[in-house]
Amino acid sequence: MIQNALGREIPDRIGSRTVVPFGGAFAKTATGTKAPRPQKVAAQREDKVLPSIEAAIEACGLSNGMTISFHHSFREGDRVINLVLDACARMGLKDLRICPTALFGVHEPIVGHIESGVVSRIEGSMNGPVGAFISKGGKLREPAVLRSHGGRWRAIEAGTMEIDVAFIAAPQADSYGNATGIPGKTPCGPITFQAVDAQYARQTVVVTNDLAPYPVFPMEIQQGWTDYVVVVDEIGDPASITSGTLQLTNSPTNLLIARLTVEAVKASGYFKDGFSFQGGAGGLSLAATKFLGDEMEKAKIVGSFGMGGGTKILVDMLRRGQIRAILDGQAFDLDAIASLREDPAHVMMDPGMYANYDSRGCSTYKLDAAFLGATEVDLDFNVNVNTHSDGQLLHGIGGHQDVAAGAAMTMITLPALRGRIPPVVDRVTTVTTPGEVIDVIVTERGLAVNPRRGDLRERFQAAGLPVRELADIKRDADRYIQPVRRPVFGDEVIAAIEWRDGTVIDVVRKVDGWQ
Amino acid sequence: MEARVGAEAKGDCLVVARQAERASVTVATKNRNLLETGIRTVAEAVLEALGTPGVAIEVQDQGALDYVLAARVEAAVRMVLPEAKLIRTERVERATSAADRPRRSRLYAPGNNPRLLVGIDIHGADCVLLDLEDSVPLGDKAAARVLVRRLLAAVPFPDEVWVRINPLDAGGREDLAEVLEGRPHGVCLPKAESGEGVRDLAKELGEIERRLGIDVGSTHIMPIIETARGVLRCEDVAEADERVAVVAFGAEDYTRDVGARRTGEALLFARSRVVAAAKAAGVQASDTVYADLANDAGLAEECARARDLGFDGKGAINPRQIPILHRAFSPSEDELAQARTIVDAAREAESRGLGAVAVGGRMVDQPVLERARRLIKYAETLVKGGTA
Repeated sequence: MIQNALGREIPDRIGSRTVVPFGGAFAKTATGTKAPRPQKVAAQREDKVLPSIEAAIEACGLSNGMTISFHHSFREGDRVINLVLDACARMGLKDLRICPTALFGVHEPIVGHIESGVVSRIEGSMNGPVGAFISKGGKLREPAVLRSHGGRWRAIEAGTMEIDVAFIAAPQADSYGNATGIPGKTPCGPITFQAVDAQYARQTVVVTNDLAPYPVFPMEIQQGWTDYVVVVDEIGDPASITSGTLQLTNSPTNLLIARLTVEAVKASGYFKDGFSFQGGAGGLSLAATKFLGDEMEKAKIVGSFGMGGGTKILVDMLRRGQIRAILDGQAFDLDAIASLREDPAHVMMDPGMYANYDSRGCSTYKLDAAFLGATEVDLDFNVNVNTHSDGQLLHGIGGHQDVAAGAAMTMITLPALRGRIPPVVDRVTTVTTPGEVIDVIVTERGLAVNPRRGDLRERFQAAGLPVRELADIKRDADRYIQPVRRPVFGDEVIAAIEWRDGTVIDVVRKVDGWQ
Repeated sequence: MEARVGAEAKGDCLVVARQAERASVTVATKNRNLLETGIRTVAEAVLEALGTPGVAIEVQDQGALDYVLAARVEAAVRMVLPEAKLIRTERVERATSAADRPRRSRLYAPGNNPRLLVGIDIHGADCVLLDLEDSVPLGDKAAARVLVRRLLAAVPFPDEVWVRINPLDAGGREDLAEVLEGRPHGVCLPKAESGEGVRDLAKELGEIERRLGIDVGSTHIMPIIETARGVLRCEDVAEADERVAVVAFGAEDYTRDVGARRTGEALLFARSRVVAAAKAAGVQASDTVYADLANDAGLAEECARARDLGFDGKGAINPRQIPILHRAFSPSEDELAQARTIVDAAREAESRGLGAVAVGGRMVDQPVLERARRLIKYAETLVKGGTA
């Protein structure tokens, strides 16, 4: 057992890997080289189209124990992960490792594939029903590994996560293997998340429901990377691709938090021409982004860029000239997809560009302000987005670490009171993102500033904002609820939480009992 | 005999109480491991305070805070055991409030809806109004009373908190007996139509205050004028008792009562009368609510008109309306600067033994000077109270 820089107890080995403990948000320095990529040579006039997923599995030589990967740009509407895993099951494959960029509720059938031994390991993300299943005692052959968007890209480039076959759902593709998520029958926005898979995987299979004449474009996935193209009837349900969460909140508490967030941005010193920000897709973040746009308009400020997931709110700001560009890795609604198609200032990017620790530049490092959510924060400003207070692993990391580490001012927005379970705690159940990269926590009962940011504290106080100690906010909220019981964790590790540099920031252990 | 109180709705809980041989508590919650113990602790404390009567309690929790849970359990037990008395609980300290403190906003919250009540204290309203009247269905009145009392006891409001009761002869007396335990700053009397009605309320308040050891006379009254009869007799209402601190106007009931459409013109007579009556009695006037939540511009416009008429504040049906109300009913920087110039000029004239003062070529007479002083004092109160 070792203690990492946050004092979290981590085993020396997790499954088959030796652990490098987290040493600080920017502690790791560059050493060595990236992993080599497999060599591929095309035959002239090759047609890569295969009649079915089974045919592709066979052609790739996928066998027991191998690793396959997926992207999540169809979100709740995805059909492809289930299609591929069902085909693997029918073909009698066992012991597969899956590397999705994220999972959703729609991927619940994976639970059955774990029980039947088709899937035995997961790296990347383990949200929703699969996380719940593992938390409740479902067994994987090795603990899961959770990585941020940037961390996943880095791990593939580093050769830490080797992929045998990348299955890439594509709203449109040509028979030579160029693929995109922007046009097509069921557009989902950029499919750049798997650009790194396509380059590093031994084999790459594009799965589409819209085979178009050569060339399709933009080419998020390129012909030079693609081995096979499979056409299926359905890859996603358009109604669920754009998430239902894309509604401005109407909760008075969340609106209050959103307003306070924007007041803090205004007072922060970053709010001037050239200002840049990242807003998320939750109702609260959407409201904050909307209010921010209103304030920029009032103050006649022109921002340099807004970072997505792209939404109508960001697109409207771009059209009104309030920001010069949108940098987008994902598109959350049809307005954002249309804008990507039509507006050169709406720039598509991949996680390697926006979030990769092992690179000479991340777009997140150019952010002035970001507002992110959390399930828990603690008095050291550590943030948990993975587990709930009962120890269940229910969410992936997404871009949380990458954005928090990058933005000059990272704000966590969360209510101080959320039913009977307190979000502000003495010690988070799991550390996803360390307090050293969190600057401000905004609640409906005031905002708390990280002691490292005395400068922000002074500015907020000068602007008359309700700056408070996090411990006082916690006390205010706790008076309304009996203490909750806390889980007692056993030794068994069910998942490792990697920091974006590949070190282990925390582990999720199985709950053994209750205090 | 069985009683069901609350609902399976977010922030609330459904409590079912039945007479039984022995007291018992069963808890259903989505998060049994984390929450069951805490919920049980709260429910058992309520039963214990009632002498552990033979009542079986089932709690179906949906994230209710302790005071909501306790209120639901208490209300349910008291329904199956009518002889059970209300439970005295610890309560937060609450200082009495000055009759003339600023009340730019009075924010309504439905008294039996935890989802909208929880956090009602944090939106910066000058005056929060917990409603037991129109927003509470008849069958929920008893449960709402207990919930409002427990909320008052648990939540330290930064500014004022009031309760709107039912008419005295339709549940209002029961409302008062219960909620005064929670020490609201004031009580709002709906459909006020006569001085006598106000005096009846004042008398009742006095008796309860004496019984509970509250400073007699410290609980304010806000009559709401919302009927034709009320409008015609609002002088009597405003002058009826020292406790009256503010007279409010309610347009919804008034338009229904007189058969008017809700236009500015239709309401002008009533509004003007209410303002004149309030000011003649030396108290504040507060305008009706604005129901179109999506229309911020319309609200700002109506606030400006109300302020022109002499109103000091306005009702709000949602916290998002509060900043607009506060902007409208606070002195602007220009107004304040003008007032300071007038007061300074008057002081200077006085020190030089001059009787008449002119500012910007206009004579400043006594009423103008008085108004300038009042404005400055009011602005200072807003800053001191942290409500600016």
